[in-house]
Amino acid sequence: MDMNKIAVFRMTTGKMGWLAERQRVLSQNVANSDTPKYQPKDLKAVDFKRLVQKSEGMQIARTHRDHRSLGSEGQKYQVEKSRDPYETAPDGNAVILEEQLIKAAKTTADYELMTSLYRKHVNMFKIALGRGQGQ
Amino acid sequence: MANDLESALSIAASGMRAQGFRLKVVAQNIANASSTSDRPGGEPYRRKIVSFANVLDRELDAKLVEIKKVKEDPSQFSLVYDPNHPAANDKGFVKNPNVNVLVEMMDMREAQRSYEANLNMIESSKQLMSRTIGLLR
Repeated sequence: MDMNKIAVFRMTTGKMGWLAERQRVLSQNVANSDTPKYQPKDLKAVDFKRLVQKSEGMQIARTHRDHRSLGSEGQKYQVEKSRDPYETAPDGNAVILEEQLIKAAKTTADYELMTSLYRKHVNMFKIALGRGQGQ
Repeated sequence: MANDLESALSIAASGMRAQGFRLKVVAQNIANASSTSDRPGGEPYRRKIVSFANVLDRELDAKLVEIKKVKEDPSQFSLVYDPNHPAANDKGFVKNPNVNVLVEMMDMREAQRSYEANLNMIESSKQLMSRTIGLLR
């Protein structure tokens, strides 16, 4: 069964990918919190409604080992400069650790929400198959 | 996707490495806070300053932190009158290093704080990974 045909799974995995990418960007900001002239970055928010409605689209056949899939590489999330950082230090660095850590905490919470949703939905399938806990 | 979290770990680790190096330089400065010269009129220890730069890692597609260079603090040495000191010049003054222990302590705290922030990022990335693995249960 193709799990990605079901909207909830497509949405949760899509959002998990986005959150993982965001965690990477936040990690980069924290690591560069003392680098002169470094401007913090953040991911552009994705319209998850579109993510749900989006169909898989056409795939290009890969007939040679050097051909690359367009699947995951095709949908990169957009990284942009944080628009209104709290403050900028005299050396031009605008990373505020608290701000970044709050964002990281929010990312973790959202990620947990997505994994719980995913698990709940899988549980529904298990109930339908007669193996669930029926809760 | 998991690749993103793994690169988040590597980026945070590069930050920790840079802050660790900074702590090393701070320790060097504090240890040499009273290292005078051994020659009459000679120059004492000069305080070192670390500066960071970000370097694009093409494999991770991310900006890692690296030590750009370790520079010397050009500020003036303090002079203390002590004619019997081996490093005293012909007027009897000894040059002391330009290390201010309070400034070094502040630098140390800042490095420590940044190190902890990076550690936090590693913790939370790890948590995300284990949540994903937990889906298998």
